[in-house]
Amino acid sequence: MITRTATIGAPNGLHARPAALFVDAVEESGLDVTISFRGETADAGSLLEVLTLGAEHGDEVELATEDDGAGEALDRLVELLVRGDA
Amino acid sequence: MFGLGKKKETLLAPFAGAVVGVDQVPDPVFSQKMLGDGFAVVPAADAGTVDVVAPCAGRLAKVFNTGHAFALVSDQGLEVLVHIGLETVEMKGEGFEALAATGDHVDAGQPVIRADVAAIRAGGRDPITPVVCTKAKQVAKLVVSDGDAGPAATVTLN
Repeated sequence: MITRTATIGAPNGLHARPAALFVDAVEESGLDVTISFRGETADAGSLLEVLTLGAEHGDEVELATEDDGAGEALDRLVELLVRGDA
Repeated sequence: MFGLGKKKETLLAPFAGAVVGVDQVPDPVFSQKMLGDGFAVVPAADAGTVDVVAPCAGRLAKVFNTGHAFALVSDQGLEVLVHIGLETVEMKGEGFEALAATGDHVDAGQPVIRADVAAIRAGGRDPITPVVCTKAKQVAKLVVSDGDAGPAATVTLN
């Protein structure tokens, strides 16, 4: 398993637009990714689960996947979250 | 599954108003169905405070701290998001009062959030309230009703 941490850059947190774009990117990656925040782990491919984490601007989340070859893909997802214009 | 016919879920309008397809919402996140297919309700021009109700029976997966949205998983498993107004996350809870909590089971039509529609409009924001099914794979077909009475939409589940 590989993990990455990301600090949410979107001004209003991982809300509607950023969450939708993030979940789309996860689906496009074809990976099974989880996103964890404050002890709760969500399926990063489920928009409802990602939204309900309630991660705000500046919060740190952790992405994880069992696919050890997916480091670059995970980095791109981190970049999307950090950039926050998603 | 189990040889049964396809299940359907009927969704009530979360408050009184004009029901339109989600493609009519003036925000591409909703109109392009990035958050899923659904409908939206436009409150009356003179609306003050409205009680925003659960569109169907289910468990509240999340009542957002800001009170501007809630997520529901219906008794049949359908994931539904109710988003009160556009860009209302920026109001940071002002104008919204939670009447139910995350984890609660609610009946169809049960109030979940009391929203000050006049305050939303006063802040220059659009109070149109989209109700969307966030898990596209669950939805075989979604029909928005055009009448004033009865459910706002009927969803045929996969």
